[in-house]
Amino acid sequence: MNLTPVQFVAIPLFAAFLIPIVAKISKEAVKYIPGIVFLYLAYVAFTLFPKALEKPIVEIIAGFKPPFGIVLYFGPTAAFLVSMVMVVGFVIWLYSFKFIIREPSEKYYMLFMMLITGATGIMLTGDVFNLFVFFEITAIAAYSLTAFLRDKDGAEAAFKYLLIGSFSSTFFLLAIALIYSNTHTLNMADLAVKMQNVDVTTKLFILILFISGLGIESELFPLNGWAPDAYSQAPTPVAAVFAGIVVKASLYALLRLVFLMFNWSEVFYLLLVLGVITMLVGEMSAMRQHQIKRMLAFSSIGQMGLIVIAFSIATVPSLQAGFFQMVNHVLIKSLLFFSAGYLVFHSGSKDISALDGLGKEKPITSFFFAFGALAILGLPPFSGFWGKMFILMAAGNSHLLLVVVLILISGIIEAVYYLRVISRLYFYKETTKEVRRTPVSGLVAMGILTVLIIILGLYPNTILAYLKPAANDLLHRTEYINAVLGQIHL
Amino acid sequence: MIFYVTSILVILIGIYAVLVKKNLIKIVIGLSIVDSGVNLLLISIGYVKHGTAPIFSRPDLTAAQMVDPVPQALVLTAIVIGLGVTAVALALVIRLYDHHKTMDINKIRKLKW
Repeated sequence: MNLTPVQFVAIPLFAAFLIPIVAKISKEAVKYIPGIVFLYLAYVAFTLFPKALEKPIVEIIAGFKPPFGIVLYFGPTAAFLVSMVMVVGFVIWLYSFKFIIREPSEKYYMLFMMLITGATGIMLTGDVFNLFVFFEITAIAAYSLTAFLRDKDGAEAAFKYLLIGSFSSTFFLLAIALIYSNTHTLNMADLAVKMQNVDVTTKLFILILFISGLGIESELFPLNGWAPDAYSQAPTPVAAVFAGIVVKASLYALLRLVFLMFNWSEVFYLLLVLGVITMLVGEMSAMRQHQIKRMLAFSSIGQMGLIVIAFSIATVPSLQAGFFQMVNHVLIKSLLFFSAGYLVFHSGSKDISALDGLGKEKPITSFFFAFGALAILGLPPFSGFWGKMFILMAAGNSHLLLVVVLILISGIIEAVYYLRVISRLYFYKETTKEVRRTPVSGLVAMGILTVLIIILGLYPNTILAYLKPAANDLLHRTEYINAVLGQIHL
Repeated sequence: MIFYVTSILVILIGIYAVLVKKNLIKIVIGLSIVDSGVNLLLISIGYVKHGTAPIFSRPDLTAAQMVDPVPQALVLTAIVIGLGVTAVALALVIRLYDHHKTMDINKIRKLKW
């Protein structure tokens, strides 16, 4: 079979609708479908990756040439992000294998596959309305997954998420309406060319609509009220999906649009300020949380702030650092959510104070949590160290000393609340609880993440070499425009 | 011009309903109204005065006499998405009512920062 980028969208979508049919025949077989999909798509992604590095693959859908039809753009950035989604998706699937037991599992896997369809679609599409459609597919799947456990708080968190999410999509659609009325095109490459003729006030208005629309999903500061509730009430693997896939996809969409259409230095300055505020508010709110999953959710907001800072410095090394930190955050935060999920399961309570002494009763799960916490703090042998180091170096090279100081301060705050949990795990007196076993598939999933974090920490330059084309691809829009539209002189 | 003003007005009415109303169902209705407003705006962008449907139904029709078909295609998709979101929202409202036995959003808010 011919390997093309369209499979990243088509196969998960097909699998999502295949699952309920297969469930009629065998409930057991349903569980394996997402795993097969992820393995196959990871294979496709890694086969196409070298080709995308040489020359971006542009796939024209249904034979309508751009700018009229919809194109999929599989450049280095998209290749990198899609590979990341496939690997993490596979690990999350392994973890959910035994975790989703109470509810009918086919519904979970169906929504999960829909979410993957939307997220890869966001990363690949070259059409701004198509982007909106994929965005909504992701969002609707995410609302339903938040309420998956059918409990009181889950429904409330999902409703809150849905309210904020619908506003975000309204803003997005308004931005598209404005864009279309001014340029009469929806192709992103074509837009990048034609937006130059649009007057500044309209452009600014479109930019604000985009930032408020996509900023909600990518957890930028004033717009991230949904995140802690959704993260803490959704089933654990879903929280990892949010942190690892949904948020990254929408941040990529925002960055792609900004780099293509609004590449003025003031915009990057605005994003830098938003990133710093997001980071500080996220870390400080994390410190005063009593529930472990809420703490992780706020920590995730803080990390997103750090990533936005890296991207808004807008040089090749800073973009590389941003991508590196994205990988870090995906791996480490998934590990933390996974182990926290089982810690909550063992202690029977979501509170941090209930974790006293679990380090002795549940040595392996606690070890994974401690490992993740140390990695995200940025201790040297782990990959978290390099992520922070690269961002600090990039900020230093651009003479943003205040930003450097603030990143270091937020690192200290982070250390306080993570070490607090670790000390409770290991140094507090244990209370007797009924002992439940951690399933093997969960342990394997956490083990894979641990190995990946160590490998990244030991050989950061290997992945950094692959990130350079990705950074160039995002930073220099002429290549993108030329690849989609053919040679056009700006 | 009147189309733009009307659609912005409809959007504002919807936002008012979402922000001020306390009843969950009314909030969901507000969301639908916002959606309709945006759809109206999209349609009016593509409107050409005295234009006809973008179909070559008579041989003497030219492209300049037709309304722009692209916004119509967009609105069709947006309506379907809006329907999906409304359905999920109503399902969540039913579940919230099952748990809390009330529709008042002030009595439900337990999760806070």
